[in-house]
Amino acid sequence: MSAVHEARRPSLARRSSGALHRRPRLRLMLLITLPMLVLVVVYLGALGVLLLSAFWTTDTFTGDVVRDGTFENFRELLASDVYRAVTLRTVGIASAVTVMCAVLAFPMALYMSKVASPRRRQLLVVAVLTPLWASYLVKAFAWRTMLAGDGVVNWALAPLGVQGPGFGLTATIIVLTYLWLPFMVLPVYAGLERLPDSLLEASSDLGAGAGRTVRSVVLPLAFPAVVAGAIFTFSLSLGDYIAVQIVGGKSQLLGNLIQGNAGAANNLPLAAALAAVPVLIMVVLLLAVRRTGALDNL
Amino acid sequence: MALGLAFVYVPLAVVLVSSFNTDRTFGWPPSGLTLEWWSRAWDSAGARTALLTSVKAGLGATAIALVLGTMASFAVARYRFFGREAVSILVVLPIALPGIVTGIALSNAITTTLQPLGVSFGLFTVIVGHATFCVVVVYNNVLARLRRTGGSLEEASMDLGADVFATFRHVTFPAVRSALVAGGLLAFALSFDEIIVTTFTAGASVQTLPVWIFTNLARPNQAPVVNVVAALLVLLSVLPVWLAQRISSDPAGGRI
Repeated sequence: MSAVHEARRPSLARRSSGALHRRPRLRLMLLITLPMLVLVVVYLGALGVLLLSAFWTTDTFTGDVVRDGTFENFRELLASDVYRAVTLRTVGIASAVTVMCAVLAFPMALYMSKVASPRRRQLLVVAVLTPLWASYLVKAFAWRTMLAGDGVVNWALAPLGVQGPGFGLTATIIVLTYLWLPFMVLPVYAGLERLPDSLLEASSDLGAGAGRTVRSVVLPLAFPAVVAGAIFTFSLSLGDYIAVQIVGGKSQLLGNLIQGNAGAANNLPLAAALAAVPVLIMVVLLLAVRRTGALDNL
Repeated sequence: MALGLAFVYVPLAVVLVSSFNTDRTFGWPPSGLTLEWWSRAWDSAGARTALLTSVKAGLGATAIALVLGTMASFAVARYRFFGREAVSILVVLPIALPGIVTGIALSNAITTTLQPLGVSFGLFTVIVGHATFCVVVVYNNVLARLRRTGGSLEEASMDLGADVFATFRHVTFPAVRSALVAGGLLAFALSFDEIIVTTFTAGASVQTLPVWIFTNLARPNQAPVVNVVAALLVLLSVLPVWLAQRISSDPAGGRI
């Protein structure tokens, strides 16, 4: 008897489907709980402990972490000439990389979006994007081969009687520019593509030459997109410590100091305090550019 | 434009040519061409193990990212709720902050909380570490797709009598499939290439391919083999672009 009764009832799938359909909140909870739990526990949890440990110290004798809660690490950062010099050097390199990326990317993006035919445009986008998929290390390594003493750069420059930059800060800037260039080209290209051609025509109808149009029409309108790209290139350069190890000779950046303190020196609290520096710089930068509308271009 | 493309491609071409260079130190121009380094690299056990580890880590992280990223993007695209903005920020954070910050934070968390529970540094911690920053690419791709398609098709499907599961299978999933592929490809590429977070979460026993390359860069003896692996990776980087082109009409192969 009960078997017949069971058979008439809708299937389990149908019933749970109905239950889900009637309760949008339940659907939402089922969707959002797992991802948020993982990200909050794994990521925010780890990040929180790290920031907290910036206020701890290590016992100089045993190397164990002492959970006391002082500003000792930050005082050390502010007082030390080395840390100030390295921070300034890192910010300087990140700025130089960002400017170089912008100078290289803007003409490329302008050509791709406004000059090239639609067919060529597709090809160029692919051509610019493909290296983005090539390994970071391989690209840094490629420049090591390029810039080595008997490498391609010195070989190409030899007839002119010039020596290449060799390994050092200049090499670091070149390599970082090379690594992050697609991150600048893409947002600028997307921004320029949104710019209507009629504006350019209007500008030339009003008697402006190509240079004047770029300067007075295109640049101001593309500025938010350039800033969006700059956020990428600046932030990526700020945290990098691998490229400088490969082509930077003996130079050190913030990332190297953080890594050294977290690893070999086993002073996690100081590493955490140092790690707060790029995070703070990025937060200040993001707040500063919020008003340009660049964040919508990310 | 031509100058820009030359700047982008000349170094990659140099790596390819150098991998056939007879000269061990890769002086330029090459003194002769040989296939010896390629056969040596083929026999290198370290490189092979590292490649296998990288593929495993990439697949694991991509799987987690696909599940979590899709769930989060559906929640944000289809519902309004308290803290929706916070979800977006939380998802983007792992890729917005420098890798070294994520790296030491996770390494510290593993030492203090997971090791007492018996979980040590290894492939599992690498996968979890990679998954944190891979979620965002799946999330961004699927979210963009969901915003474009809207919810009206799903409502129509339900009105026509399909239940929640049938609607998902026949309407929602086909609509987001190519976005999932693009996001998954990007996630795999991010994980495959990652070195900083990996260094801090892998421990001493596990080596992914980037870590292997980095440790062997300093050894002059291994230089030819490293060069071949690098050349191989340059060639392989064409693959995801080609795949993305075939699967979707989006030449960019998705959003970063």
